Amino acid sequence: MADVRISGADLVVEMNGFDKLWALKSSLTIPLANVRGATLDPGITRESKGIRTAGTHWPGVITAGSFRVDGERVFWDVRDPMKAIVIELRDEHYARLIVEVDDPRATIGLIEKSL
Amino acid sequence: MGRPRAFDEDEVVRDAAALFAGRAYDSVSVDDLVNHLGVHRNSLYKVFGSKRGLYLAALRHGLAGEGPGLDLLLLAMAERAPVDAEVAALVQAVLHDLDQALGSAGATATLLGDRLRARAAS
Repeated sequence: MADVRISGADLVVEMNGFDKLWALKSSLTIPLANVRGATLDPGITRESKGIRTAGTHWPGVITAGSFRVDGERVFWDVRDPMKAIVIELRDEHYARLIVEVDDPRATIGLIEKSL
Repeated sequence: MGRPRAFDEDEVVRDAAALFAGRAYDSVSVDDLVNHLGVHRNSLYKVFGSKRGLYLAALRHGLAGEGPGLDLLLLAMAERAPVDAEVAALVQAVLHDLDQALGSAGATATLLGDRLRARAAS
């Protein structure tokens, strides 16, 4: 699970509790100018994750950390697919972030309103 | 399954407009889009950024003329314009154009009302 908030001109994604360990990352800060959008997408958890380059992957339990798929780097932190959102980025280390949030609808609204 | 990366963007946007004209925005999942449009999920994100990005492209296309324009407009007015400023602006511009083309706001209201009644009766 991750907390997503807006801080000034940045989007801040902060991993909760032990997810910091599984994902090997405690937080990500992305300039809002590099955020293209956010989408609720439970189905993405059934897609191939590609190759894990750092982090933890227990299929069906937790996907957390850095993965490489179709030549792109993707960051994951998801246990519950129903709360998975996809945050698409431009000109960043990661092409997209796929994270679980407590209230997907509210988080997507927050991101879309700030773009 | 999905089309390769080099898909026809216009075709995808046209098909998406038809999908969004038929049912509520929230009830169209990314799974639905991937299955109906035949696009790889990663390509969809890469090209359109988000479901909303694709929806806005579909709305611009659908309201520009041919296609499922009126139904798309009605749904956008009812459910997305109140919560999305960019959709609201698009809808206002189209309503303004319709008023001009039909001669009055009343004529636009009649057109939209008639379409709503026809949908409800079908």
